[in-house]
Amino acid sequence: MCGPQVLVTRRVTALVHTSPMVLVAPGQEQGALWSPAPPTPDDRALSASGAQPAAVRLDTGRPAAARDEVLALLRDGSGQRPRFDPGLAGGLRAWLEDAAAELVARRGEDAPPLFLGPRLLWDGSVAAADPGETPTGRYPTEWVRSCLIRALFAQVVTTGQVEDPLGDALDALRVDPGRSAMARHVDELPEEARSALAASLHVHIENLMNLTPRFAAGWLPRTHDRVAIPLAGGRVVLNGVFDLLVGAPVPGRATLCALGLTTGGRWAQARTALHYLALLETLRSGTPPFRLALLHSAAGRYGVEDVLEEHLRTIVSHVVVRLSTLGAGDA
Amino acid sequence: MPEASASGTSSPRALTRALLEPFGASALDDRASVLDAARCIPRTLADLAVPRPGGASFHLTDHHVREALGPPDGVTPRTPFAWSALTARRALGLAGLRALLTGAVRSPVDGVISAVDDAVRAAHRGENTASPMDRWLAGLPPAGRGAVQAGAVTWATRLWCALDWSAFEEPPTIGRDHWWDSPHSSLLALRSRAEVRSVARDPAGSPLSVHLVVVGGPRRTTIRSELSAAAMVEVLCSPRSLPPGRMVGWWPDSGHLVTLEIDQRALNDGVAAVARTLAHTGVTPIDCEGVMRAAA
Repeated sequence: MCGPQVLVTRRVTALVHTSPMVLVAPGQEQGALWSPAPPTPDDRALSASGAQPAAVRLDTGRPAAARDEVLALLRDGSGQRPRFDPGLAGGLRAWLEDAAAELVARRGEDAPPLFLGPRLLWDGSVAAADPGETPTGRYPTEWVRSCLIRALFAQVVTTGQVEDPLGDALDALRVDPGRSAMARHVDELPEEARSALAASLHVHIENLMNLTPRFAAGWLPRTHDRVAIPLAGGRVVLNGVFDLLVGAPVPGRATLCALGLTTGGRWAQARTALHYLALLETLRSGTPPFRLALLHSAAGRYGVEDVLEEHLRTIVSHVVVRLSTLGAGDA
Repeated sequence: MPEASASGTSSPRALTRALLEPFGASALDDRASVLDAARCIPRTLADLAVPRPGGASFHLTDHHVREALGPPDGVTPRTPFAWSALTARRALGLAGLRALLTGAVRSPVDGVISAVDDAVRAAHRGENTASPMDRWLAGLPPAGRGAVQAGAVTWATRLWCALDWSAFEEPPTIGRDHWWDSPHSSLLALRSRAEVRSVARDPAGSPLSVHLVVVGGPRRTTIRSELSAAAMVEVLCSPRSLPPGRMVGWWPDSGHLVTLEIDQRALNDGVAAVARTLAHTGVTPIDCEGVMRAAA
């Protein structure tokens, strides 16, 4: 990973404003280590119905194999972490700042700050980070399921065990002031709906228990790590949440691994969202994560890949395009 | 944009340097003028803290300064205090970091687990030292406690990864808040919050205290006032501690940092911030309980 570096220079903003953006890619580009194929629509239908796709049915005789493999893929080549040019983050930021400045000019200086999560990348409308509670006070089932599974994922990482998926997830939501109303909503669901939700969670958590490596404390695992990158003086904020980060940041060297979770949405979107988070980490710490892992809790599949300069450049250009489509009406 | 002496994006090395770098030559002059100015401040503050009907006291924190000086739409509606993963994470995270720095544990995860276990044990034994948070933790189901633990681990790990701990001259003090009680009024007390306290030296080799403050929420225009008010409290407390030299505010979410050198201007800003906060609290009832507990 530390071979000769390829320099790509691209002018993204006037030189009077910033130094030229310099993007640096590791010399030896390691391809994505996507293990099983991404889920198909049939798989998603199966997972939505609570059944487990036969193609990825877990080998109950060796339940730890998948998580061991994920861990092995995350560790592979870890002694040769790539170095990134210190100018990389500055160049990416300058590119985004230009787009954000134009957006602020369209929206007006006094417009409230615009908070943009990963959904910015594919939604037709601006979707803030948390669709949460609708005006009618109801919660979309998929959103509730996603929050419950993420709470369980944090529990798996933190304690390594889950006793009662629905009960444990609700207990976790009850101590989160931003989610306690959702817990009450689930408490008030009809028995049939609660049973269906519990059955669904059981499938997800069984997959997660098999997929999620048991990180030693020395890996510094931390769940729900929020990133918020202000642009244009805080008038535009790119934000997101890492489901799990491991490793300690080292200046100029990619050392972090990020694990993302998708609970049933489109695989490609989840992967794009993970790349978006990798970009935000690059802007936050100056260095991108070393490697990304995406866990599909419905299908029990996973993928592991290195973060490449191309990923970051693609996401930045995507964000810039999306920012250019936003206007005064977006809030 | 936050107005401050300096701001930027941090790496562990940059944040540590911002906190610990030696003071310039002006620090010697600043130190004398700050101590001179500090003599008048207690009387000024006591005059500002005019008792309100009912005799309620003013226990001001950075939270109140932020609330009073920020835009009305930037403040979340006040809700009664309740223990939660959010309000408990700092106390547990700090306890975990203390254990880590003393070598009692080897990682933030182990430190937080130890802190949670200690809290639950104290509550179960009915010890007098058990805090309300300890009793709340002890009453949680295992999964709820796990969620609290996860939040505290993340909080502690972010701070652990943010600094180069080997660069400290001596082990820093983790999370000791300072309260200044007005000598002229029992109704007035001010808090200075800092997650990490250490020492940097001026050109004469004299030590001054430096303070790292973990800042939440978006970057904001009130940050200088928040840090200045805390700096003023440190100056007022300095007869019983080191003279303060620097405050560094750090946003874990974005990596941004803001540095405030404590000079006379910072002191004046601190007094002005407290004055405006007291004026604001004259119309808005002040709720001390929540922020004081969460910061304990």
